[in-house]
Amino acid sequence: MEKQIHPTHLPRRKRSARLSLAMMGASAFGLTACTQPAEDEHLTDVRFDEPKSYQGVEECVAANVYTRSACEDAYEASLESVPRFDTLEACEAEHGEGACAAPTDEQAQAAGGGSWFMPAMMGYMVGNMLANTSRGRSFERVYQEPVYRNRQNQGNWNAAASQASQRVNQRNEALRSSVVQNRQATTRRGLGTRSASWGS
Amino acid sequence: MLRINVSERPQWKTLAKELGFHFHTIDGEPYWKEDAYYQFTLEQIEQEIEAPTEALHEMCMALVDKVCHSNALMQRLAIPEHMWDIIHHSWRSGQPPLYGRMDFAYSGNGPAKLLELNYDTPTSLYEAGFFQWVWLEQAIEQGILPRHADQYNSIQERLLNAMAHLGDRLENRTLYFSCVKGSDEERATVSYLQDIALQAGLQAPFIYIEDIGIAPGVEHFVDLDDHPITALFKLYPWEEMAVEAFGEAVTQLNTHWFEPPWKAVLSNKGILPLLWEEYEGHPNLLPAYFEKNSHSPLEAGWVRKPFFSREGSNISLITPSGQQESVGGPYTDNPWIRQAYHPLPRFGDKHALIGSWVVGDRACGMGIREDVGRITKDTSCFIPHAIL
Repeated sequence: MEKQIHPTHLPRRKRSARLSLAMMGASAFGLTACTQPAEDEHLTDVRFDEPKSYQGVEECVAANVYTRSACEDAYEASLESVPRFDTLEACEAEHGEGACAAPTDEQAQAAGGGSWFMPAMMGYMVGNMLANTSRGRSFERVYQEPVYRNRQNQGNWNAAASQASQRVNQRNEALRSSVVQNRQATTRRGLGTRSASWGS
Repeated sequence: MLRINVSERPQWKTLAKELGFHFHTIDGEPYWKEDAYYQFTLEQIEQEIEAPTEALHEMCMALVDKVCHSNALMQRLAIPEHMWDIIHHSWRSGQPPLYGRMDFAYSGNGPAKLLELNYDTPTSLYEAGFFQWVWLEQAIEQGILPRHADQYNSIQERLLNAMAHLGDRLENRTLYFSCVKGSDEERATVSYLQDIALQAGLQAPFIYIEDIGIAPGVEHFVDLDDHPITALFKLYPWEEMAVEAFGEAVTQLNTHWFEPPWKAVLSNKGILPLLWEEYEGHPNLLPAYFEKNSHSPLEAGWVRKPFFSREGSNISLITPSGQQESVGGPYTDNPWIRQAYHPLPRFGDKHALIGSWVVGDRACGMGIREDVGRITKDTSCFIPHAIL
């Protein structure tokens, strides 16, 4: 009886019982190919134009600089980056009394739902970034920044827009200097310089 | 050891494509062939391949220890002096190896003879560790081989275990993988290792060797985003790294290497005469000597090999009966060794070479290459094997 459950003459096996591949298979192989440029590519220089501020999507569309979908995407992305708080008190402690509100239904919908408090959004800022990459590609990308109410600007549109513009400049400057640093400081091609294949 | 003709699996090329084996045919010539397989007995595998592989591996480790403590031996191996410290340090601090392959002349009768070690940048890994295994499973399923057929192959399983073990010791469980641009075969081998690393729960980003950077103030080599590369698998030889622009940096930065620097001792054909000096007469070793005068003609029954050469390049031989054969190549600027000629077994017009794999310190599988010539080259075909 026991012999049937635990056979004494288990064949000695010299090979593994099972093997699998995680990414080399057909579908996953395509995936690797897709992500490769990102791994391989880095920015070599980058330029920003002067961002313009709009009080809403309709004003952005009416200015006739960006398409409606670019205006809408930039609005959603701006909304995403407005600081969020669990309570009205926490928000007001940071941004000033009367500066905060729950998101409007429209905003909550654009952000994919949820309940939170945020400094009241007065509008947003949109600009263009032009970049070149190490692979000789260049691309254009929209950047954005929310314009919101807080203690310093007290709900004054011009002051709020100017603060948003400062945040944009700081962020862009950080990106620009990282690109410049990347270009100037890092040395590459110090290995693999003798062209050949090396497996054996 | 027999060479048995069998039918191919009808859909194998489609399958190869689906499984990422894009180099089964190279420049229009078949590389993977399954219209035949090599058949071994279990005794042949266990007593004449597996056990000698582990014994030779131990001998090699003992010799690495000796070389690491001797400047004179480092010199005899033509290892540049600025590498001695990092090699010694990597050995003394126990930096683990991942894998290696020994090439044997073995006919089924008499001891397998070690022709060389590929302990730094071995390839043919995917075809030996994975595609060959799939072949056996399907050949059984499709009635091409009997149910009790087996294969000497736990290569991938051992690699998975080794990587899982490493993962716990790597910063952020991250191991970068790297090879040079422009070789599909090497990129695929590295993809395969990345695949195993992912299965072992590691982060396994890829960077080409040429794209690896040095950034001021960073203690490691950096990737394209200037993030530090704390650990890197490189399918790229130590002897090249040593003499390139970043050769000094390699010895100064803290990037952790696979294979570790001490593999430079073994990926050097000068190790063959040193093995012979140390273990003269060992049944699995062939007599080998450092060549004193490279202009003296090669005598019958000898093979001439440069210290650093891959895929049979720059090797010449004369059989005892005076037949000559040689393969050209780029490796002309380094010292040479001479090794006693030992014929590869011949099956029809094919010479067969056994590649015996070691992962960590364990012998764990085998792949066979065959060629009409006596010197195995990068174009030599890969033929699966079975134990019956």
